[in-house]
Amino acid sequence: MNILSGQYEDYADALDMIDDEDMRFEYIIDIGKKVKDEDFPEPLRIDDHLMHGCMSRVWIIDEVRDNKHFFTGFSDAIIVKGLVAMMTTSFSGLTADELQEIGTEQVRRLNLGALTTQRQVGMMTMLETFKKLGSVGGGTVASLRTTGI
Amino acid sequence: MNKVVSIDSAIGSNSMEAFDVERVRQDFPILKQMVYGKSLVFLDSGASAQKPQVVIDAVRECYETYYSNVHRGAHFLSQRCTDEYEKVRAEIADFINAPSENNVVITSSVTESINLVAQTWGRKFLKVGDEIIVSEMEHHANIVPWQMLETELGVKVRVAAIDDRGEFLLDEFRALLNPKTKLVAVTEVSNVLGTILPIKEIIQLAHAQGAKVLLDGAQGIVHQGVDVQDLDCDFYGFTGHKLYGPSGVGVLYGKPDVLNAMPPYQGGGDMIEKVSFSGTTFKEPPHRFEAGTPPIAQVIGLGAAIRYVAGLGMDNISAHELGLLAYATEKMNAIEGVQIVGQAKDKAAIISFLIEGTHPFDVAAVLDRQGVATRVGHHCAEPLMDRLGLVGTVRASFGLYNNSDDVDRLVAAIGKAKDLLL
Repeated sequence: MNILSGQYEDYADALDMIDDEDMRFEYIIDIGKKVKDEDFPEPLRIDDHLMHGCMSRVWIIDEVRDNKHFFTGFSDAIIVKGLVAMMTTSFSGLTADELQEIGTEQVRRLNLGALTTQRQVGMMTMLETFKKLGSVGGGTVASLRTTGI
Repeated sequence: MNKVVSIDSAIGSNSMEAFDVERVRQDFPILKQMVYGKSLVFLDSGASAQKPQVVIDAVRECYETYYSNVHRGAHFLSQRCTDEYEKVRAEIADFINAPSENNVVITSSVTESINLVAQTWGRKFLKVGDEIIVSEMEHHANIVPWQMLETELGVKVRVAAIDDRGEFLLDEFRALLNPKTKLVAVTEVSNVLGTILPIKEIIQLAHAQGAKVLLDGAQGIVHQGVDVQDLDCDFYGFTGHKLYGPSGVGVLYGKPDVLNAMPPYQGGGDMIEKVSFSGTTFKEPPHRFEAGTPPIAQVIGLGAAIRYVAGLGMDNISAHELGLLAYATEKMNAIEGVQIVGQAKDKAAIISFLIEGTHPFDVAAVLDRQGVATRVGHHCAEPLMDRLGLVGTVRASFGLYNNSDDVDRLVAAIGKAKDLLL
Protein backbone atom coordinates (compact mmCIF):
# COMPACT_ATOMS: atom_id res chain seq x y z
CA MET A 1 0.00 0.00 0.00
CA ASN A 2 1.81 3.09 -1.22
CA ILE A 3 -0.15 5.50 0.98
CA LEU A 4 1.92 4.39 3.95
CA SER A 5 4.82 6.49 5.10
CA GLY A 6 8.42 5.84 4.18
CA GLN A 7 8.99 5.21 7.87
CA TYR A 8 6.67 2.20 7.68
CA GLU A 9 8.71 0.73 4.83
CA ASP A 10 11.92 1.40 6.73
CA TYR A 11 10.64 -0.51 9.77
CA ALA A 12 9.26 -3.37 7.70
CA ASP A 13 12.39 -3.68 5.57
CA ALA A 14 14.69 -3.56 8.58
CA LEU A 15 12.70 -6.27 10.30
CA ASP A 16 12.64 -8.38 7.14
CA MET A 17 16.41 -8.19 6.94
CA ILE A 18 16.93 -9.38 10.51
CA ASP A 19 16.63 -13.15 10.37
CA ASP A 20 17.02 -13.80 14.08
CA GLU A 21 13.91 -13.47 16.24
CA ASP A 22 15.86 -12.40 19.31
CA MET A 23 17.49 -9.65 17.26
CA ARG A 24 14.10 -8.49 15.97
CA PHE A 25 12.90 -8.39 19.55
CA GLU A 26 15.91 -6.29 20.52
CA TYR A 27 15.30 -4.01 17.52
CA ILE A 28 11.87 -3.15 18.95
CA ILE A 29 13.43 -2.53 22.36
CA ASP A 30 15.96 -0.18 20.75
CA ILE A 31 13.17 1.79 19.08
CA GLY A 32 11.43 2.04 22.45
CA LYS A 33 14.59 3.25 24.16
CA LYS A 34 14.92 6.04 21.61
CA VAL A 35 11.56 7.47 22.65
CA LYS A 36 12.30 10.06 25.32
CA ASP A 37 10.03 11.26 28.10
CA GLU A 38 10.02 14.74 26.63
CA ASP A 39 8.58 13.36 23.38
CA PHE A 40 5.32 12.82 25.23
CA PRO A 41 5.45 15.00 28.34
CA GLU A 42 3.88 13.95 31.61
CA PRO A 43 0.91 16.39 31.36
CA LEU A 44 -0.24 14.51 28.26
CA ARG A 45 -0.30 11.17 30.05
CA ILE A 46 -3.86 11.52 31.24
CA ASP A 47 -6.96 9.37 31.08
CA ASP A 48 -8.25 11.30 28.04
CA HIS A 49 -5.48 9.73 25.99
CA LEU A 50 -5.23 6.38 27.76
CA MET A 51 -6.14 3.19 25.93
CA HIS A 52 -7.93 0.96 28.40
CA GLY A 53 -7.39 -2.76 28.54
CA CYS A 54 -3.65 -2.77 27.84
CA MET A 55 -1.23 -4.72 30.04
CA SER A 56 0.97 -1.65 30.27
CA ARG A 57 -0.29 1.91 29.99
CA VAL A 58 -0.56 3.31 26.47
CA TRP A 59 -1.47 6.89 25.60
CA ILE A 60 -2.41 7.95 22.05
CA ILE A 61 -3.06 11.46 20.69
CA ASP A 62 -4.57 12.21 17.28
CA GLU A 63 -3.90 15.62 15.71
CA VAL A 64 -5.88 16.38 12.54
CA ARG A 65 -4.29 18.72 10.00
CA ASP A 66 -5.67 19.19 6.48
CA ASN A 67 -7.98 16.21 7.10
CA LYS A 68 -4.98 14.00 7.79
CA HIS A 69 -4.45 12.21 11.09
CA PHE A 70 -1.10 12.47 12.86
CA PHE A 71 -0.70 10.12 15.80
CA THR A 72 1.72 10.33 18.67
CA GLY A 73 1.88 7.94 21.57
CA PHE A 74 3.72 6.72 24.63
CA SER A 75 3.87 3.82 27.05
CA ASP A 76 5.42 3.20 30.44
CA ALA A 77 7.00 -0.03 29.14
CA ILE A 78 9.87 0.05 26.67
CA ILE A 79 8.76 -2.75 24.36
CA VAL A 80 5.27 -1.31 24.05
CA LYS A 81 6.83 2.15 23.65
CA GLY A 82 8.70 0.75 20.64
CA LEU A 83 5.55 -0.74 19.20
CA VAL A 84 3.62 2.49 19.76
CA ALA A 85 6.39 4.45 18.02
CA MET A 86 6.31 2.08 15.05
CA MET A 87 2.53 2.22 14.80
CA THR A 88 2.11 5.97 15.22
CA THR A 89 4.86 6.96 12.77
CA SER A 90 3.87 4.30 10.25
CA PHE A 91 0.20 5.17 10.11
CA SER A 92 0.34 8.96 10.46
CA GLY A 93 -0.42 11.43 7.68
CA LEU A 94 -3.41 9.48 6.35
CA THR A 95 -6.96 10.62 5.74
CA ALA A 96 -9.87 8.89 7.40
CA ASP A 97 -10.58 6.92 4.22
CA GLU A 98 -6.95 5.89 3.89
CA LEU A 99 -6.89 4.73 7.50
CA GLN A 100 -9.84 2.45 6.80
CA GLU A 101 -7.83 0.78 4.03
CA ILE A 102 -5.10 -0.39 6.39
CA GLY A 103 -5.43 -4.07 7.06
CA THR A 104 -4.00 -6.40 9.63
CA GLU A 105 -1.42 -7.62 7.09
CA GLN A 106 0.23 -4.18 7.16
CA VAL A 107 0.55 -4.43 10.92
CA ARG A 108 1.82 -7.99 10.69
CA ARG A 109 4.73 -6.83 8.53
CA LEU A 110 5.94 -4.96 11.59
CA ASN A 111 7.24 -8.26 12.89
CA LEU A 112 4.52 -9.61 15.09
CA GLY A 113 6.26 -12.96 15.06
CA ALA A 114 8.65 -11.82 17.79
CA LEU A 115 5.77 -10.80 20.02
CA THR A 116 3.44 -12.60 22.35
CA THR A 117 -0.15 -12.99 21.26
CA GLN A 118 -1.21 -10.45 23.84
CA ARG A 119 1.03 -7.78 22.26
CA GLN A 120 -0.09 -8.74 18.77
CA VAL A 121 -3.66 -8.16 19.92
CA GLY A 122 -2.54 -4.86 21.44
CA MET A 123 -1.14 -3.69 18.12
CA MET A 124 -4.36 -4.64 16.32
CA THR A 125 -6.32 -2.76 18.98
CA MET A 126 -4.12 0.26 18.35
CA LEU A 127 -4.89 0.06 14.63
CA GLU A 128 -8.62 -0.15 15.42
CA THR A 129 -8.25 2.93 17.62
CA PHE A 130 -6.60 4.83 14.74
CA LYS A 131 -9.43 3.83 12.43
CA LYS A 132 -12.10 4.82 14.93
CA LEU A 133 -10.47 8.18 15.50
CA GLY A 134 -10.37 8.60 11.74
CA SER A 135 -14.05 7.72 11.37
CA VAL A 136 -15.13 10.34 13.91
CA GLY A 137 -12.80 13.02 12.56
CA GLY A 138 -10.39 12.94 15.48
CA GLY A 139 -10.79 13.56 19.18
CA THR A 140 -9.48 11.84 22.26
CA VAL A 141 -9.24 8.14 22.94
CA ALA A 142 -11.58 8.74 25.87
CA SER A 143 -14.20 10.19 23.53
CA LEU A 144 -14.36 6.84 21.77
CA ARG A 145 -15.16 5.21 25.07
CA THR A 146 -17.89 7.70 25.92
CA THR A 147 -19.51 7.42 22.51
CA GLY A 148 -19.43 3.67 22.85
CA ILE A 149 -17.84 3.15 19.45
CA MET B 1 -0.08 -32.50 60.92
CA ASN B 2 1.29 -29.02 60.51
CA LYS B 3 3.33 -29.01 57.32
CA VAL B 4 4.35 -25.38 57.36
CA VAL B 5 8.13 -25.31 57.19
CA SER B 6 10.07 -22.12 57.71
CA ILE B 7 12.84 -21.11 55.35
CA ASP B 8 15.39 -21.36 58.13
CA SER B 9 14.52 -24.96 58.86
CA ALA B 10 14.89 -25.90 55.20
CA ILE B 11 18.35 -24.41 54.77
CA GLY B 12 20.95 -26.87 55.78
CA SER B 13 18.62 -29.82 55.91
CA ASN B 14 19.44 -32.89 53.89
CA SER B 15 16.00 -32.94 52.31
CA MET B 16 17.40 -31.69 49.00
CA GLU B 17 19.32 -34.93 48.70
CA ALA B 18 16.32 -37.04 49.71
CA PHE B 19 14.21 -35.56 46.94
CA ASP B 20 15.57 -36.56 43.54
CA VAL B 21 14.42 -33.64 41.43
CA GLU B 22 16.19 -34.88 38.31
CA ARG B 23 14.21 -38.09 38.43
CA VAL B 24 11.03 -36.13 39.12
CA ARG B 25 11.66 -33.91 36.08
CA GLN B 26 11.59 -36.99 33.87
CA ASP B 27 7.94 -37.44 34.84
CA PHE B 28 6.96 -34.16 33.14
CA PRO B 29 7.18 -34.47 29.36
CA ILE B 30 6.49 -30.79 28.72
CA LEU B 31 9.71 -29.79 30.47
CA LYS B 32 11.78 -31.47 27.77
CA GLN B 33 10.83 -28.96 25.10
CA MET B 34 12.67 -25.95 23.77
CA VAL B 35 11.17 -22.46 23.50
CA TYR B 36 12.81 -19.87 21.24
CA GLY B 37 15.63 -22.36 20.82
CA LYS B 38 16.30 -22.52 24.55
CA SER B 39 15.41 -25.22 27.03
CA LEU B 40 12.27 -24.34 28.94
CA VAL B 41 12.51 -23.02 32.49
CA PHE B 42 8.99 -23.10 33.83
CA LEU B 43 8.49 -20.72 36.75
CA ASP B 44 4.76 -20.15 36.40
CA SER B 45 3.40 -23.05 38.42
CA GLY B 46 1.57 -20.61 40.68
CA ALA B 47 -0.71 -19.89 37.74
CA SER B 48 -1.01 -23.51 36.67
CA ALA B 49 1.33 -26.41 37.23
CA GLN B 50 2.54 -28.84 34.58
CA LYS B 51 1.27 -32.40 34.54
CA PRO B 52 3.21 -35.58 35.23
CA GLN B 53 2.86 -38.46 32.79
CA VAL B 54 0.73 -40.42 35.27
CA VAL B 55 -1.92 -37.70 35.18
CA ILE B 56 -1.88 -37.53 31.39
CA ASP B 57 -2.11 -41.33 31.26
CA ALA B 58 -4.95 -41.48 33.77
CA VAL B 59 -7.06 -39.03 31.78
CA ARG B 60 -6.30 -40.83 28.53
CA GLU B 61 -7.03 -44.22 30.06
CA CYS B 62 -10.36 -42.94 31.33
CA TYR B 63 -11.38 -41.77 27.87
CA GLU B 64 -9.96 -44.84 26.14
CA THR B 65 -11.27 -47.59 28.38
CA TYR B 66 -14.05 -46.72 30.80
CA TYR B 67 -15.40 -43.21 30.20
CA SER B 68 -19.11 -42.82 30.69
CA ASN B 69 -21.38 -40.51 32.61
CA VAL B 70 -21.30 -41.22 36.33
CA HIS B 71 -24.11 -42.08 38.75
CA ARG B 72 -27.31 -43.91 37.86
CA GLY B 73 -25.95 -45.51 34.69
CA ALA B 74 -27.44 -48.92 33.98
CA HIS B 75 -24.40 -50.36 32.29
CA PHE B 76 -20.91 -51.63 32.93
CA LEU B 77 -18.94 -48.56 31.86
CA SER B 78 -21.01 -46.18 33.92
CA GLN B 79 -20.59 -48.34 37.00
CA ARG B 80 -16.83 -48.59 36.43
CA CYS B 81 -16.52 -44.85 35.82
CA THR B 82 -18.63 -44.06 38.87
CA ASP B 83 -16.46 -46.32 41.00
CA GLU B 84 -13.27 -44.66 39.78
CA TYR B 85 -14.76 -41.19 40.19
CA GLU B 86 -16.01 -41.78 43.73
CA LYS B 87 -12.75 -43.48 44.64
CA VAL B 88 -11.01 -40.19 43.91
CA ARG B 89 -13.40 -38.35 46.21
CA ALA B 90 -12.29 -40.69 48.99
CA GLU B 91 -8.64 -40.14 48.04
CA ILE B 92 -9.12 -36.38 48.20
CA ALA B 93 -10.68 -36.76 51.65
CA ASP B 94 -7.72 -38.83 52.75
CA PHE B 95 -5.21 -36.37 51.24
CA ILE B 96 -6.63 -33.38 53.11
CA ASN B 97 -7.60 -35.50 56.13
CA ALA B 98 -11.30 -34.72 55.88
CA PRO B 99 -13.47 -36.81 58.22
CA SER B 100 -15.29 -38.38 55.29
CA GLU B 101 -15.63 -38.20 51.51
CA ASN B 102 -19.03 -36.64 52.18
CA ASN B 103 -17.17 -33.47 53.14
CA VAL B 104 -15.62 -33.21 49.69
CA VAL B 105 -17.61 -31.27 47.11
CA ILE B 106 -16.36 -31.43 43.55
CA THR B 107 -16.37 -28.03 41.85
CA SER B 108 -14.79 -26.62 38.72
CA SER B 109 -12.20 -24.49 40.52
CA VAL B 110 -11.37 -22.84 43.80
CA THR B 111 -13.17 -19.80 42.41
CA GLU B 112 -16.35 -21.83 42.17
CA SER B 113 -15.71 -23.30 45.62
CA ILE B 114 -15.66 -19.81 47.14
CA ASN B 115 -18.65 -18.64 45.13
CA LEU B 116 -20.54 -21.73 46.26
CA VAL B 117 -20.00 -20.81 49.89
CA ALA B 118 -20.95 -17.18 49.23
CA GLN B 119 -24.12 -18.05 47.38
CA THR B 120 -25.33 -20.82 49.69
CA TRP B 121 -23.95 -20.40 53.21
CA GLY B 122 -23.65 -16.66 52.76
CA ARG B 123 -27.17 -16.09 51.51
CA LYS B 124 -28.67 -18.30 54.19
CA PHE B 125 -26.70 -17.20 57.22
CA LEU B 126 -25.63 -13.59 56.60
CA LYS B 127 -27.80 -10.54 57.10
CA VAL B 128 -27.51 -6.77 56.96
CA GLY B 129 -24.67 -5.48 59.13
CA ASP B 130 -22.80 -8.78 59.38
CA GLU B 131 -19.11 -8.59 58.63
CA ILE B 132 -16.73 -10.67 56.54
CA ILE B 133 -13.00 -10.24 57.00
CA VAL B 134 -10.59 -10.79 54.12
CA SER B 135 -6.92 -9.88 53.96
CA GLU B 136 -5.15 -7.31 51.80
CA MET B 137 -3.38 -10.19 50.07
CA GLU B 138 -6.42 -11.89 48.61
CA HIS B 139 -6.83 -13.03 45.04
CA HIS B 140 -9.85 -11.42 43.40
CA ALA B 141 -11.61 -14.79 43.69
CA ASN B 142 -11.68 -14.32 47.46
CA ILE B 143 -12.78 -10.68 47.32
CA VAL B 144 -15.39 -10.26 44.62
CA PRO B 145 -17.82 -13.00 45.77
CA TRP B 146 -18.00 -11.27 49.15
CA GLN B 147 -18.37 -7.83 47.57
CA MET B 148 -21.32 -9.22 45.64
CA LEU B 149 -22.89 -10.15 48.97
CA GLU B 150 -22.19 -6.64 50.22
CA THR B 151 -24.34 -5.34 47.41
CA GLU B 152 -27.02 -8.00 47.64
CA LEU B 153 -27.32 -8.50 51.40
CA GLY B 154 -25.90 -5.37 52.97
CA VAL B 155 -23.07 -7.19 54.70
CA LYS B 156 -19.75 -5.42 55.14
CA VAL B 157 -16.37 -6.62 53.89
CA ARG B 158 -13.54 -5.60 56.18
CA VAL B 159 -9.87 -5.86 55.31
CA ALA B 160 -7.12 -7.27 57.50
CA ALA B 161 -3.90 -5.36 56.93
CA ILE B 162 -0.39 -6.47 56.07
CA ASP B 163 2.88 -4.65 56.64
CA ASP B 164 5.35 -3.54 53.98
CA ARG B 165 7.14 -6.88 54.12
CA GLY B 166 3.91 -8.71 53.36
CA GLU B 167 3.38 -10.08 56.85
CA PHE B 168 -0.19 -10.59 57.98
CA LEU B 169 -0.75 -8.32 60.99
CA LEU B 170 -2.33 -10.58 63.56
CA ASP B 171 -2.92 -7.83 66.12
CA GLU B 172 -4.75 -5.68 63.62
CA PHE B 173 -6.78 -8.69 62.57
CA ARG B 174 -7.66 -9.33 66.20
CA ALA B 175 -8.86 -5.75 66.49
CA LEU B 176 -11.17 -6.19 63.51
CA LEU B 177 -12.95 -9.15 65.06
CA ASN B 178 -16.23 -8.32 66.79
CA PRO B 179 -19.62 -9.92 67.38
CA LYS B 180 -20.72 -8.91 63.88
CA THR B 181 -17.91 -10.94 62.31
CA LYS B 182 -19.53 -13.99 60.76
CA LEU B 183 -16.86 -15.13 58.34
CA VAL B 184 -13.11 -14.84 57.93
CA ALA B 185 -12.10 -15.66 54.36
CA VAL B 186 -8.35 -15.62 53.81
CA THR B 187 -5.75 -17.22 51.67
CA GLU B 188 -3.40 -19.77 53.16
CA VAL B 189 -0.49 -18.55 51.02
CA SER B 190 -0.34 -15.28 49.08
CA ASN B 191 -0.23 -15.97 45.35
CA VAL B 192 1.81 -12.78 44.86
CA LEU B 193 4.10 -12.48 47.87
CA GLY B 194 4.41 -16.11 48.91
CA THR B 195 3.55 -15.15 52.48
CA ILE B 196 2.35 -18.09 54.56
CA LEU B 197 -0.37 -16.68 56.77
CA PRO B 198 -0.60 -17.63 60.48
CA ILE B 199 -3.65 -19.71 59.69
CA LYS B 200 -3.96 -21.57 62.96
CA GLU B 201 -3.96 -18.38 64.97
CA ILE B 202 -6.42 -16.77 62.56
CA ILE B 203 -8.78 -19.71 62.88
CA GLN B 204 -8.56 -19.83 66.66
CA LEU B 205 -9.23 -16.11 66.97
CA ALA B 206 -12.12 -16.23 64.51
CA HIS B 207 -13.72 -19.22 66.20
CA ALA B 208 -13.38 -17.56 69.60
CA GLN B 209 -15.53 -14.78 68.15
CA GLY B 210 -18.02 -17.30 66.75
CA ALA B 211 -17.07 -16.69 63.11
CA LYS B 212 -16.61 -19.36 60.46
CA VAL B 213 -13.34 -19.56 58.52
CA LEU B 214 -12.88 -20.20 54.82
CA LEU B 215 -9.37 -20.83 53.53
CA ASP B 216 -8.38 -20.26 49.94
CA GLY B 217 -5.94 -23.13 49.60
CA ALA B 218 -5.13 -22.65 45.92
CA GLN B 219 -1.48 -21.91 46.66
CA GLY B 220 -1.23 -23.49 50.08
CA ILE B 221 -2.01 -27.12 49.37
CA VAL B 222 0.52 -27.38 46.54
CA HIS B 223 3.45 -26.18 48.61
CA GLN B 224 2.76 -27.67 52.01
CA GLY B 225 -0.26 -29.99 51.88
CA VAL B 226 -3.11 -29.56 54.30
CA ASP B 227 -4.82 -31.22 57.24
CA VAL B 228 -8.24 -29.63 57.47
CA GLN B 229 -9.07 -31.25 60.80
CA ASP B 230 -5.84 -30.13 62.37
CA LEU B 231 -6.43 -26.61 61.10
CA ASP B 232 -10.08 -26.80 62.19
CA CYS B 233 -11.17 -24.60 59.27
CA ASP B 234 -14.84 -24.61 58.31
CA PHE B 235 -14.24 -24.43 54.56
CA TYR B 236 -11.17 -25.16 52.47
CA GLY B 237 -11.05 -24.66 48.72
CA PHE B 238 -8.40 -25.72 46.25
CA THR B 239 -8.01 -26.26 42.57
CA GLY B 240 -6.72 -29.29 40.69
CA HIS B 241 -4.63 -27.65 38.01
CA LYS B 242 -2.22 -26.03 40.45
CA LEU B 243 -1.77 -29.41 42.15
CA TYR B 244 -0.39 -31.01 38.97
CA GLY B 245 -3.85 -32.22 37.98
CA PRO B 246 -6.10 -31.25 35.07
CA SER B 247 -7.78 -27.89 34.73
CA GLY B 248 -11.52 -27.66 35.22
CA VAL B 249 -11.74 -29.37 38.60
CA GLY B 250 -11.69 -27.93 42.08
CA VAL B 251 -12.65 -28.98 45.58
CA LEU B 252 -14.59 -27.49 48.43
CA TYR B 253 -14.15 -29.08 51.82
CA GLY B 254 -16.75 -28.22 54.42
CA LYS B 255 -17.28 -29.37 57.96
CA PRO B 256 -20.17 -31.86 58.15
CA ASP B 257 -22.53 -29.71 60.19
CA VAL B 258 -21.80 -26.67 58.05
CA LEU B 259 -22.39 -28.45 54.74
CA ASN B 260 -25.55 -30.11 56.07
CA ALA B 261 -27.02 -26.72 56.95
CA MET B 262 -26.37 -25.23 53.51
CA PRO B 263 -29.02 -25.08 50.80
CA PRO B 264 -28.20 -26.25 47.26
CA TYR B 265 -26.01 -24.16 44.99
CA GLN B 266 -27.11 -24.75 41.42
CA GLY B 267 -30.21 -26.73 40.48
CA GLY B 268 -30.17 -29.53 37.98
CA GLY B 269 -29.58 -33.22 37.53
CA ASP B 270 -27.65 -35.33 40.02
CA MET B 271 -28.32 -33.06 43.01
CA ILE B 272 -31.96 -34.02 43.59
CA GLU B 273 -33.75 -36.85 45.37
CA LYS B 274 -37.05 -36.31 43.62
CA VAL B 275 -38.37 -33.69 41.25
CA SER B 276 -42.03 -32.94 40.78
CA PHE B 277 -44.08 -29.85 40.07
CA SER B 278 -45.56 -30.16 43.53
CA GLY B 279 -42.12 -30.01 45.17
CA THR B 280 -38.51 -31.07 44.74
CA THR B 281 -36.22 -32.58 47.32
CA PHE B 282 -32.44 -32.58 47.36
CA LYS B 283 -29.69 -35.07 48.10
CA GLU B 284 -27.46 -34.91 51.12
CA PRO B 285 -24.01 -33.27 50.81
CA PRO B 286 -21.82 -33.44 48.86
CA HIS B 287 -24.09 -34.35 45.92
CA ARG B 288 -26.54 -31.60 46.82
CA PHE B 289 -23.94 -29.12 45.57
CA GLU B 290 -23.03 -30.94 42.37
CA ALA B 291 -25.69 -30.24 39.76
CA GLY B 292 -25.19 -31.59 36.27
CA THR B 293 -22.50 -33.80 34.82
CA PRO B 294 -19.32 -33.29 36.84
CA PRO B 295 -15.80 -32.93 35.38
CA ILE B 296 -15.36 -36.71 35.22
CA ALA B 297 -12.02 -37.18 33.48
CA GLN B 298 -10.61 -34.19 35.31
CA VAL B 299 -11.47 -35.77 38.65
CA ILE B 300 -9.81 -39.00 37.52
CA GLY B 301 -6.72 -36.96 36.61
CA LEU B 302 -6.79 -35.15 39.93
CA GLY B 303 -6.80 -38.52 41.67
CA ALA B 304 -3.64 -39.48 39.80
CA ALA B 305 -2.06 -36.13 40.70
CA ILE B 306 -2.83 -36.60 44.37
CA ARG B 307 -1.39 -40.11 44.35
CA TYR B 308 1.69 -38.69 42.61
CA VAL B 309 2.41 -35.89 45.09
CA ALA B 310 1.47 -38.07 48.04
CA GLY B 311 3.94 -40.66 46.74
CA LEU B 312 6.68 -38.06 46.65
CA GLY B 313 5.63 -36.83 50.08
CA MET B 314 4.34 -33.33 50.72
CA ASP B 315 7.00 -32.79 53.37
CA ASN B 316 9.71 -33.68 50.83
CA ILE B 317 8.16 -31.41 48.21
CA SER B 318 7.91 -28.58 50.70
CA ALA B 319 11.51 -28.97 51.84
CA HIS B 320 12.76 -29.12 48.26
CA GLU B 321 10.85 -25.99 47.28
CA LEU B 322 11.96 -24.09 50.36
CA GLY B 323 15.55 -24.99 49.54
CA LEU B 324 15.01 -23.52 46.07
CA LEU B 325 13.35 -20.46 47.57
CA ALA B 326 16.33 -19.84 49.83
CA TYR B 327 18.79 -20.34 46.97
CA ALA B 328 16.85 -18.07 44.60
CA THR B 329 16.35 -15.40 47.26
CA GLU B 330 20.07 -15.33 48.01
CA LYS B 331 21.00 -15.15 44.32
CA MET B 332 18.44 -12.47 43.50
CA ASN B 333 19.30 -10.35 46.51
CA ALA B 334 22.86 -10.27 45.19
CA ILE B 335 21.76 -8.67 41.90
CA GLU B 336 22.01 -4.89 42.01
CA GLY B 337 18.68 -3.22 41.35
CA VAL B 338 16.53 -6.29 42.01
CA GLN B 339 13.85 -5.78 44.62
CA ILE B 340 12.03 -8.82 45.97
CA VAL B 341 8.44 -7.86 46.74
CA GLY B 342 7.34 -9.86 49.75
CA GLN B 343 9.84 -10.46 52.52
CA ALA B 344 7.75 -12.32 55.05
CA LYS B 345 9.55 -14.64 57.43
CA ASP B 346 7.51 -17.67 56.40
CA LYS B 347 7.14 -17.94 52.66
CA ALA B 348 6.25 -20.56 50.10
CA ALA B 349 8.32 -20.83 46.93
CA ILE B 350 6.92 -17.76 45.20
CA ILE B 351 9.10 -14.73 44.43
CA SER B 352 7.66 -11.50 43.12
CA PHE B 353 10.26 -9.01 42.03
CA LEU B 354 11.04 -5.79 40.21
CA ILE B 355 14.16 -4.47 38.53
CA GLU B 356 14.78 -0.83 39.34
CA GLY B 357 14.29 1.42 36.33
CA THR B 358 12.34 -1.12 34.30
CA HIS B 359 8.72 -2.01 33.73
CA PRO B 360 7.76 -5.51 34.89
CA PHE B 361 6.14 -6.28 31.53
CA ASP B 362 9.43 -5.58 29.78
CA VAL B 363 11.33 -7.76 32.22
CA ALA B 364 8.93 -10.67 31.81
CA ALA B 365 9.13 -10.33 28.01
CA VAL B 366 12.94 -10.51 28.04
CA LEU B 367 12.82 -13.46 30.45
CA ASP B 368 10.41 -15.19 28.10
CA ARG B 369 12.81 -14.75 25.17
CA GLN B 370 15.43 -16.45 27.35
CA GLY B 371 13.12 -19.42 27.77
CA VAL B 372 12.17 -18.47 31.32
CA ALA B 373 8.40 -18.53 31.82
CA THR B 374 7.16 -16.21 34.56
CA ARG B 375 3.96 -14.26 35.12
CA VAL B 376 3.59 -10.50 35.19
CA GLY B 377 0.96 -8.01 36.23
CA HIS B 378 -1.27 -7.65 39.24
CA HIS B 379 -1.78 -11.41 39.55
CA CYS B 380 -5.51 -10.93 40.19
CA ALA B 381 -4.65 -9.04 43.36
CA GLU B 382 -5.22 -5.40 42.47
CA PRO B 383 -5.96 -4.28 46.05
CA LEU B 384 -2.59 -5.72 47.08
CA MET B 385 -0.87 -3.82 44.27
CA ASP B 386 -2.62 -0.63 45.44
CA ARG B 387 -1.45 -1.31 48.99
CA LEU B 388 2.14 -1.72 47.79
CA GLY B 389 1.91 1.19 45.35
CA LEU B 390 2.84 -0.98 42.37
CA VAL B 391 1.39 -1.49 38.89
CA GLY B 392 2.52 -5.08 38.94
CA THR B 393 5.37 -7.46 39.58
CA VAL B 394 7.19 -10.23 37.80
CA ARG B 395 6.44 -13.46 39.62
CA ALA B 396 8.58 -16.57 39.60
CA SER B 397 6.64 -19.40 41.20
CA PHE B 398 8.37 -22.72 41.77
CA GLY B 399 7.00 -26.21 41.54
CA LEU B 400 8.25 -29.58 42.66
CA TYR B 401 10.07 -30.07 39.31
CA ASN B 402 12.21 -26.93 39.45
CA ASN B 403 15.88 -27.24 40.25
CA SER B 404 18.85 -25.02 41.01
CA ASP B 405 19.66 -24.80 37.29
CA ASP B 406 16.28 -23.12 36.82
CA VAL B 407 17.26 -20.55 39.44
CA ASP B 408 20.59 -19.97 37.70
CA ARG B 409 18.82 -19.51 34.36
CA LEU B 410 16.42 -17.04 35.99
CA VAL B 411 19.31 -15.08 37.43
CA ALA B 412 21.10 -15.04 34.06
CA ALA B 413 17.91 -13.91 32.32
CA ILE B 414 17.52 -11.08 34.84
CA GLY B 415 21.05 -10.02 33.94
CA LYS B 416 20.08 -10.06 30.26
CA ALA B 417 16.99 -7.97 31.03
CA LYS B 418 19.14 -5.40 32.78
CA ASP B 419 21.53 -5.31 29.82
CA LEU B 420 18.76 -4.82 27.30
CA LEU B 421 16.42 -2.53 29.17
CA LEU B 422 18.68 -0.21 31.14
